[in-house]
Amino acid sequence: MGTPDHHADNVPGPLRQALLGCAADRLSGVLRVAGRPGGTVHFSDGGIIAAETPGAPGLEVILFRSGRVDELGWDAAFAAAAATGREMRNELIGRELVGAGELEALSRLAIADAVFAMAYGTVEDYRTETSASAAPMVTLEPGDEAGWLLAETSRRIRSLSPFAGRAHARIAMAPGAVRPGLPVSGGRDKLAALADGRRTPRDLAFALGRGVYATLLELGRMQADGLMIVADPGPARPAEAAAAGLPPAAADSAEAIESLPRRRRDHASAAVRAGTRDLPAAFRLLRLRYGEGTASGGAK
Amino acid sequence: MTQDAVLGEMRSLREKVAGITGTAVASRDGLIIREDTGGAVDPDNLAALSAAWLSVAQRMSTEAGQGSLREAMTRSSGGWVAIYAVAASAVLVLIGDEGLDITTLRSESRKALDAIGALLSGPEE
Repeated sequence: MGTPDHHADNVPGPLRQALLGCAADRLSGVLRVAGRPGGTVHFSDGGIIAAETPGAPGLEVILFRSGRVDELGWDAAFAAAAATGREMRNELIGRELVGAGELEALSRLAIADAVFAMAYGTVEDYRTETSASAAPMVTLEPGDEAGWLLAETSRRIRSLSPFAGRAHARIAMAPGAVRPGLPVSGGRDKLAALADGRRTPRDLAFALGRGVYATLLELGRMQADGLMIVADPGPARPAEAAAAGLPPAAADSAEAIESLPRRRRDHASAAVRAGTRDLPAAFRLLRLRYGEGTASGGAK
Repeated sequence: MTQDAVLGEMRSLREKVAGITGTAVASRDGLIIREDTGGAVDPDNLAALSAAWLSVAQRMSTEAGQGSLREAMTRSSGGWVAIYAVAASAVLVLIGDEGLDITTLRSESRKALDAIGALLSGPEE
C-alpha cells in the first residue's frame, strides 16, 4: 500500500508467520524461535515488549558497554525494583540513570536488532508459551507492532551490502588499514582495535555494546573502503553441511595425545596430587601459582 | 599432529556456540594443555584456577548429594565462565560474553568433551 517497501519476503517465512500470528492472537507470553541464532520474543497483548537472542546484544549490554549506565547504578535500581515490585524501567528513569525517551528509543532499537539477528540467520521452528513469568527486566510499553517490526527488519536486511560470510564471518582489518589517519566516523577506530580475526560481527557488537545491524552496516562500508577483510568466512551452516554430505566435525578416529603435561615431583606436585581429596591443597596450588607469577615469573 | 586435534575440537565448539570468546584445556593439576583465548586472559592462571575450581565444584556436588558434576558456571556483569571435567584427566574451561548461547552450549559441550577426552586418553606416561 502506502509503504515504500516491496513485499517483504527476505524475512524467513516461519518467523514472519510466528510474529504475525502472535500479534493476531493478542498473545501475552513468549515466542521461542529455534534456529541459529534463534531467540525469544516477549509479547504483551499482541505487542512486542522485549526480545532476546544470543545473536545480538540486549538492552542491558548496550547500557553497560556504551557507558550510559554504570554497574552500581544498575544494581541499586535492580535491588530497589525487586524490593518494591516497581518496574525496572521506572526505577532507572526515576533514579535519573537514563532518560525516559532515551530508554524507550534504546529498548526499541534492542528489539529491532534482536529480531533482525534472528531473521538474518536461520529459523528452524517456533513455539509459543502463554506465561509471562520470564519477562526480561526492562520492557517496552506499549510494545512494538509486529507489522512495523517486520517491515523494519526487511528494510535492514535489504540495506546491507551483500558482504561475504555474513554474521558468522571472522573479521580482521586489511593489512596496513590501521594507521593514525583512520577515519573515526561510525566508531571505526574502536572496530579496528577489536577486529582481530577471531571476532564475528556479532562478537564485535557485544564487545562494543552496539547493535549488530549497525555493526554489520559499518563493517560493510569499511570493506568497501578496503579497510576490512574477512579472515575466515565461518563454517557452513548445519543444514548446508548436511546437504553437501559432509561428515560431522567430531574426529573419532584421531590418535591420542601421547602424554599430558605433568608437574615434576616437587612440593607443588604433592599438594596437587592430593587436590581432589584435600581442598586446602588445591588452594595452596593457587597461592603457588600466583606467588610464582608475582615473584619473577621465570622459575617453574 | 594430534595436538591440533584437541585445538580443533575447541575451535569447533567456539564456531558452533555463539558467544564463546575463548577456551582452554588444562590438566587436573593445573597445567595448560591447549588454549585458544586470543590473548584476552593469562592461560596459566586460567589453567590453575580451573583445576582448583573443578575440584571444589566436584566436592560441592558430592557434599550436596547430587551425583557427578556436569558443569560449573559463573555469571558476571560482563559474561560467563564455565568449566567441565574432561574424562578423569583434564578440565575444559570456556569464557563467554553476555550473549553466550547456553542452550546450544549444553548440547554441544557434551560432544566436545567426549571427543577431547578420547584424544587425551593416551597411554599413561
